[in-house]
Amino acid sequence: MLETLREMQARVNGLPHLNRLGRLFSCTVLLKIDDAEFYLTFEKGQLTSLFEGPSRKTPWQFSLTLDANALQKFWEPHPAPGFHDIFGLVKIGRATVEGDILLLVKNLRFFKEFMALARQMEQTT
Amino acid sequence: MSAIEPIVGRYVTVDLNGVAHRIYFEEAGQGRPVLCLHTAGADTRQWRHLMNDAGITAANRLIAFDMPRHGKSLPPEGFETEEYLLTTEAYIETVLAVCTALELERPVLAGCSMGGRIALQLAALHADHFSGFVAIEASDFQPAWYDIDWFDRPDAHGGEMGAALVSANISPHAPHAERWNTLWMFMQSGPGVFRGDLSFYTRDDSLIGRLGDIDTQKTPVHLIVGAYDLTCTPEDAKRTADAIDGATLTVMDELGHFPMSEHPDGFRPFFVDALDRMPQ
Repeated sequence: MLETLREMQARVNGLPHLNRLGRLFSCTVLLKIDDAEFYLTFEKGQLTSLFEGPSRKTPWQFSLTLDANALQKFWEPHPAPGFHDIFGLVKIGRATVEGDILLLVKNLRFFKEFMALARQMEQTT
Repeated sequence: MSAIEPIVGRYVTVDLNGVAHRIYFEEAGQGRPVLCLHTAGADTRQWRHLMNDAGITAANRLIAFDMPRHGKSLPPEGFETEEYLLTTEAYIETVLAVCTALELERPVLAGCSMGGRIALQLAALHADHFSGFVAIEASDFQPAWYDIDWFDRPDAHGGEMGAALVSANISPHAPHAERWNTLWMFMQSGPGVFRGDLSFYTRDDSLIGRLGDIDTQKTPVHLIVGAYDLTCTPEDAKRTADAIDGATLTVMDELGHFPMSEHPDGFRPFFVDALDRMPQ
């Protein structure tokens, strides 16, 4: 998973339109996948730091918790209903968002497109 | 073939609750009138593909209008100090006033999302004004799975947030360009308009107790729902159809909440089938 996230990091940092969309997005996101924790720090739309936890010393603004199977389904080229969107996963009970949800919503397009980057990688490889 | 589309747009002023409202409407085709209602936070452009479809407009006169504050319909005088909160009563008054102003004689009423919700309200309360009802992505009621206040804040762009949220309701099978054309309308929505529409859609549950009043023997009711609709799910639509004696329902496996806009080719056969179920 860390390797996939690193590929997503390289990709988001090389996409000017996402960097522009996220120009006011500077925060740390906790991504919990099964029992693993990943801390993603964004600065002005760039993913500047990424490491695997757990870490109790790293403050985060919001977290996204989901199971690896749901994430793999989300990354399919044409996901099944509910698995096609981050909030869809929340609505069908396969993901939860905690923390500053308004910060997420204000930058929702940026974060959704970031999370979907692995889907694009699958489509192009 | 001319590059000029057959859709013609005009304006009409109607009196709503004693206040003049300048309403934009457009139409294409001839024959049986079909009045089309857009979703929350959007406008008549959602219907443009069907209105440009000669196979449909050969025998159907499709008419769509922008609700006040939406698209090219201006808000009423004094809007700058009002909090917009759409109500069932105001929505019904608007649809009936447009029917009267345009001299529509018992049109088929086709509405999507909140337009589908009000179509079912009209089926229960004012069925004699219409010949049948096509309720798309429509249900009795479901509360919001989000906070509608997100979309009207002075410190953020409500339109961009609204578009990012409703993208959850668009099918991954939708063509890329039409996905973004659909979202563009939400991005353009005026401040507080999407929130005001959602207030009606997510807080007024008065339809639940009225579904039993709908007489499908007099006016048929057909529901259509997309499997990728997270807001009005197939389960929501089925529950609603089951509560209306004689109503029919079709589930579209590869479509979402804005089928006529997000995936016009995918939606076309379902809309044609729905019209075939309506009186000529």
